[in-house]
Amino acid sequence: MTLLLLLHLGLAALGPVVMRVMGRYAFLVLALAPAASFCWLVAQSSQVAQGGSVVEVVSWVPSLDLELAFRLTTLQWVFALLVTGIGAIVLVYCTWYFDADDEGLGRFALNFTGFAGAMLGLVVADDLLLLYVFWELTTVFSYLLIGHRPERRADRRAALQALIVTTAGGLAMLVGLILIGNEAGTYRISEILAAPPTGAAVTAGVTLALVGAVSKSALVPFHFWLPGAMVAPTPVSAYLHAAAMVKAGVYLVALFAPAFADIGPWRPMVLGLGAATMALGAWHALRQSDLKLLLAHGTVSQLGFLVAIVGLGTRSAALAGVAMVVAHALFKASLFLVVGIIDRVTGTRDLRELSGLARSMPLVAATGLVAAASMAAIPPVAGFVAKESVFIAFVDVGATPDGDGTGIGPIVAGIVLAALVAGSALTVAYTARFAWGAFATKRGVSATEPAPVAAGFVAAPAMLGLLSIALGFAGAAETALIEPYAVAFPPGAHVPDLALWHGLEPALALSVVAVLGGLALFVLRDRVERLQARTVPMVDAGRAYDTLMRGLDRLAVEVTGTTQRGSLPIYLAVILVVVVVLPGGALVLGGAWGVDVRAWDVPAQALIGGLIVAAAVLATRARRRLKAVVLLGVTGYGTALLFLLHGAPDLALTQVLVETVTIVVFVLVMRRLPVYFSDRPLTSSRWGRLGIGLLAGTAVAGFVLSATSARIAEPVSEDFPAEAVSFGGGKNIVNVTLVDIRAWDTLGEISVLAVAATGVASMVFVHTRRAGIARPAEGPTIAARRRATGDDYRNTWLRGGRTLTPERRSIIFEVVTRLSFHTMIVFSLFLLFAGHNNPGGGFAGGLVAGLALMVRYLAAGRYELDEAAPVDAGLVLGLGLVVATGTGLMALLFGGEVLQSAVIDLTVPLLGEVHLVTSIFFDIGVYLVVVGLMLDVLRSLGSGVDRLADDDEEGEPAEREPEVVGGVG
Amino acid sequence: MTANLTLVLTASALVAAGVYLLLERSLTRVLIGIILISNGVNVAFLVTGGRAGGAPIVGVTEPARMSDPLPQAMVLTAIVITLGLTAFLLAMAYRSWQLTGHDDVQDDVEDAAIRRLAESDAGSSSYDDTDDDASPPEARP
Amino acid sequence: MRAVSLVPLPVVLPLLGAGVALALGRWDRAQRAVSLVVLMATVAIAAVLLVNADADGPLVVWIGGWPEPLGISLVADRLSALMLLVSATVTLAVLVYSLGQGVADGTRNTPVSIYHPTYLVLSAGVANAFLAGDLFNLFVGFEVLLAASYVLMTLTGTSERIRAGTTYVVVSLLSSLLFLVAIALVYAATGTVNLAQLSGRLADLPDGVSLVLQLLLLTVFSIKAAVFPLSAWLPDSYPTAPAPVTAVFAGLLTKVGVYAIIRTQTLLFPDSPLTDLLMWAALLTMIVGILGAVAQSEIKRMLSFTLVSHIGYMVFGVALATAAGLAGAIFYVVHHITIQTTLFLVAGLVERRGGSTSLSRLGGLARASPILGVLFFVPAMNLGGIPPFSGFLGKVGLLQAGVGSGLPLAYVLVAGGVVTSLLTLYAVAKAWNLAFWRAAPAEILEPASAVDAREAVRARGAGGTPRNPASDQPAPSPPVALPAAMVAPTAGLVVAGVALSVVAGPLFAVADRAAADLLERSPYVESVLPRGAP
Repeated sequence: MTLLLLLHLGLAALGPVVMRVMGRYAFLVLALAPAASFCWLVAQSSQVAQGGSVVEVVSWVPSLDLELAFRLTTLQWVFALLVTGIGAIVLVYCTWYFDADDEGLGRFALNFTGFAGAMLGLVVADDLLLLYVFWELTTVFSYLLIGHRPERRADRRAALQALIVTTAGGLAMLVGLILIGNEAGTYRISEILAAPPTGAAVTAGVTLALVGAVSKSALVPFHFWLPGAMVAPTPVSAYLHAAAMVKAGVYLVALFAPAFADIGPWRPMVLGLGAATMALGAWHALRQSDLKLLLAHGTVSQLGFLVAIVGLGTRSAALAGVAMVVAHALFKASLFLVVGIIDRVTGTRDLRELSGLARSMPLVAATGLVAAASMAAIPPVAGFVAKESVFIAFVDVGATPDGDGTGIGPIVAGIVLAALVAGSALTVAYTARFAWGAFATKRGVSATEPAPVAAGFVAAPAMLGLLSIALGFAGAAETALIEPYAVAFPPGAHVPDLALWHGLEPALALSVVAVLGGLALFVLRDRVERLQARTVPMVDAGRAYDTLMRGLDRLAVEVTGTTQRGSLPIYLAVILVVVVVLPGGALVLGGAWGVDVRAWDVPAQALIGGLIVAAAVLATRARRRLKAVVLLGVTGYGTALLFLLHGAPDLALTQVLVETVTIVVFVLVMRRLPVYFSDRPLTSSRWGRLGIGLLAGTAVAGFVLSATSARIAEPVSEDFPAEAVSFGGGKNIVNVTLVDIRAWDTLGEISVLAVAATGVASMVFVHTRRAGIARPAEGPTIAARRRATGDDYRNTWLRGGRTLTPERRSIIFEVVTRLSFHTMIVFSLFLLFAGHNNPGGGFAGGLVAGLALMVRYLAAGRYELDEAAPVDAGLVLGLGLVVATGTGLMALLFGGEVLQSAVIDLTVPLLGEVHLVTSIFFDIGVYLVVVGLMLDVLRSLGSGVDRLADDDEEGEPAEREPEVVGGVG
Repeated sequence: MTANLTLVLTASALVAAGVYLLLERSLTRVLIGIILISNGVNVAFLVTGGRAGGAPIVGVTEPARMSDPLPQAMVLTAIVITLGLTAFLLAMAYRSWQLTGHDDVQDDVEDAAIRRLAESDAGSSSYDDTDDDASPPEARP
Repeated sequence: MRAVSLVPLPVVLPLLGAGVALALGRWDRAQRAVSLVVLMATVAIAAVLLVNADADGPLVVWIGGWPEPLGISLVADRLSALMLLVSATVTLAVLVYSLGQGVADGTRNTPVSIYHPTYLVLSAGVANAFLAGDLFNLFVGFEVLLAASYVLMTLTGTSERIRAGTTYVVVSLLSSLLFLVAIALVYAATGTVNLAQLSGRLADLPDGVSLVLQLLLLTVFSIKAAVFPLSAWLPDSYPTAPAPVTAVFAGLLTKVGVYAIIRTQTLLFPDSPLTDLLMWAALLTMIVGILGAVAQSEIKRMLSFTLVSHIGYMVFGVALATAAGLAGAIFYVVHHITIQTTLFLVAGLVERRGGSTSLSRLGGLARASPILGVLFFVPAMNLGGIPPFSGFLGKVGLLQAGVGSGLPLAYVLVAGGVVTSLLTLYAVAKAWNLAFWRAAPAEILEPASAVDAREAVRARGAGGTPRNPASDQPAPSPPVALPAAMVAPTAGLVVAGVALSVVAGPLFAVADRAAADLLERSPYVESVLPRGAP
């Protein structure tokens, strides 16, 4: 069976190709897939007929109990025969139905073949989940098939409707199946049917599964999607209605009936919905004037009938049900194909325009009439045989005290039976309407002139018609074939059999009543139509669906409009509130209140603390940007002091440098930004922000207090001092930690710096991270001044200064710079190399060097900066990263772990004993990256901003959207 | 382990002030807020290291009296990361000024559109392609 | 070379590559070569790590060879190795795509000298986050990938991206600060930040304190993972970035958050009291997220909302804290990384071919470009949980876990899960109906020539819709033919997504084993601290 499915899959995939090569005759090739499967099934018949089964299992996802398990017993065999047989016939029919130049045939071929394959898989799957897999696949393929002409809005909507409705049911079913499988401890259908689980969960599961079946088979209240699906090409409709898709629901009911028919909600659902659907569908069918639509509503009606009988759960009902399924498949397929022919050769499907086709195309008419007879259950065709035994089955239920084993009381049985008979009568009526509408010669309607019909075109429906007749006389044989399925049910009132003549039984009477009643309705059709015109349907499920979806859409908009405010402050507030409420709440409720505190370590802390707090508070109130930044600086330096008092010199040093850099960068940017913060009426939100701020602050305090007081173990760092010296070869533990113990963190950190620098550059030089490097000679004012003063600028130091206009220059500053620059660079190098044993290290060093460059820039402008560091920042950054990572990998090559350091003591002439720790190279990498960062920041926020500013002064617009922002490759 | 109340209070005050600014609209203020908060967090880190002590340098301080070096290392890392990101955010603020003339954080346009739909009790413009050339939501009143 | 010494390489190699790329700023070709080589190597290494970790337990490296528990430990157990492999593969595919885009657009003016180093650092950061065996190092890993993501998000600094980027950056900065607070508290209470050591020490804390720590960490990671109500920032920021960037963000970054949740919740806080809280969060994330998707009329934003929504599935699995639940979550992460990335890449193609991603502008793409139709439909159905695709398998795994747990609330989550699944299908089908089926605007049917194409894209911008400041509307731009260099990697990912179903058996088995390890904890702890937790 796996192979057959793969065959479908393969041909489906090839579909478009074959179609391109062979044109519409490709359908004949595609038909091979179902045809081959059909033949294989026929080959299995003897085995299946003896109640045997064909099993295949291929493992797929054991963790989910999802296996490619297939099993062929009578029920599967019958359905599979219909699926493949009718599938093949319809594909052949397509050859004539479509024109060679029809658009999208390749797509169609793919979808149809895939659809047939999915349907075959569905009816042979022996694993609940696998069954669902194919179930959904049929849904998706039907979506694509219904949307065959997607430019038409109606088609798109119908397709989407079918997809959503059936998937909704399908998902309910999935949950149901999982409930069942979970209770049963297996998902293997055969095992579950052999030993059905019980319990509330199972009841719920089966009910949900039934919901899926009901939606798939378009029963009330889901019946509306099927007529909508009529927009699909007729072959699709034929297959969809006769053998595929909608039959899946019937199959599921038939499959579960032996095991679950006695579960509480089962019979109310199948009988109630079934009977209701039968009546409603037929009633709608009776008012249609589009032949195809008439058939569609007819199918809805018939599906209700089928589900009711198949779901009843008695032995005779089972036999009759399967027979009815077969009969329905045959006549409904051939009826659709006939309509398709009429549509193609006359150009209309409206029974008010058609006339005299019985004469003009007798063969087609004959075929249609045979099928119609079967639909109306007129002897001697299959439909009659099946429906006769359906009535017998229900009569048994009513006639026997225990409802023929179903426990249904006589009254209920009577009602159901009455409903079914009434439904049958309506069926006869709309059948008559169909036959008359399609083929009769009508007064006042000019005879239709059909185009000639190709033999192959009629062959398909004709063949099905012949089968209907044949089955009518093969009741005994059919009984024998279906028997193995029926015996799964307890023996009933009497041994059921399919036959044309059961003697003068009540069932016969009912059939007669139905036929006569139906004919009466047809004869009095004018009155009926008037009646229908008057009666308005109390609930239109289709409209209900629209309302539902629109409501869903509105809900979506409302919810999104509420949750998605699009405002950053709100998002931040939400986050902070969550923090205050959840961990904060846990803190309050959890009663982690063993807090023990000390006022301070040294009183000075309190003083500085107070200073910091004051500065912070003032910063929040500052309206001038500069003021705010200065106050920020105060808090920063204060923090540095706190670090120092705590005994963290490295930290203090770094904090001071960082703070300085931060302030300078702020100032660089704020040269351009407005002096004041744009003020707006904030009073409304101010209190909110204040509240959240205080809450957050309190929460943090609470967290820290409780966590600190809860310390349970000695910190890992207690071993640091010893290890730092012995293993890290350094005395400054913090530095050893940075470049050795936790060098991995530092590696990440410098990559952050490198990226941040890149980002800064990208914000200013939008398309490249490369800032041009200029020479003073190219400076604006210098050339002019050279002509004026005639001095040779080559020997003067700080030449960049000359590129500034006099009013921008500050002589003192330049002199100071002149004195300090080299000292600073040297100092930075000292920090770098001394770091391992004394305060300092790569970061501090790099920052000092950066500050030196910054001073050069501030003193004498951007050309000066390029003089001081005539290198591309990217190069420095890159080099830094390479050195750092390289150091790490080196160790790996020497057989150590990544970033493992070695202590090398060697004697160098002049220097004497040199104590070298390889981690110094890593620190050099750090140093380089930091310098690169500073360089990039100065180039971008300093020089770059200058340049743009100068451009502005030269009248260019400040607004410079990137003119080119092509891909990011 | 006892907590240094002064440091705790300082930290929480910094956080409170920072949050207050963080919820502002001016990107500069937001950034200042972020830096205040991170200073607060760094101070808090000191608390978690336990008592103050001598500089954690072998030879300068004997191990028993050293202040816990591990939090110091972590804070140092944090400080430097903050520096890099500060620079980046400032550059963004500059860019924002360059494009819009101010550095205020603006609300998201698409969300605003949906919100307008919600207020005007309209459905989403992608609903069930009611008309084949539906006007984009932005265009709706 | 022992497999274990490969563990740091997924981080070190990209960083080295980034350094080289930065230094080679002037030579685009060299940069491309470096990125490609490095990322290919990373994929290979990740594969080796997974095989080894699955065969003989977690691979542990103490960086610098420091005696445990002093230094930083990197751990590649089944979970991290699996995450590593998937993320590396996706990263590589996206790189190829962006190269294709660059080639198609002509690289002269593309910010390639920014893109490549940053992209490499991003992948290093992601790898580091997966491998980190140390809470503070996890923080650093986050910072690395975030810093890189800031730059990529605001690439070419259009006003739209600056706005979106601001939201993204500030929210992330706040979450990073909260993460720092959490780390400070953890260290204050336990005196260590090593995860393995913490798993032992946290248990000794008073319940109140450990609950505070757990909730704080959970909040931090939930921001990264975009769990409701901490998710609103995501749909505002992701869609504006260049297509490949959005794709890799959507695929990876949120999953790093999910990974962190899984890791910390299982390793540090076993038998957590927060099952119900997490379940509610998961439910709201699913429903609110997917409703957002239904309300959207722009493909990228719609996808961003489905991204948020499906995070709920994973959180659900984590909340159950059963082997089945975790396995389901892990499998779903793998699926979601692949599919979400694919869909965003496809969205990039749609934008290119259709000139926009606004559903009110698109139409007729299925006929105009059948290949594009397939490339969208298959992963879209996959996302919609249509069998036999991986989305369905992951969903079933989680539903089974929910039903199996028997918790009353779990049934509610199961219901919510299927509703979400249905609405996801509805959202993508709606997009399909409009963008691919509806009658096409004329210009989509006959695409511009390659030359015009280049111009058009120049005018339009790197996958991001430039907006005229007046009305912030995507300027419609002439659709262009699809370059094979972009279609190929996308198709590759689509196939990979389908292949997930084929290899689902073994893949789910790995997920099962990984989940078992997580619940047991001892495999992780003992391989990190063989001499017992001091």
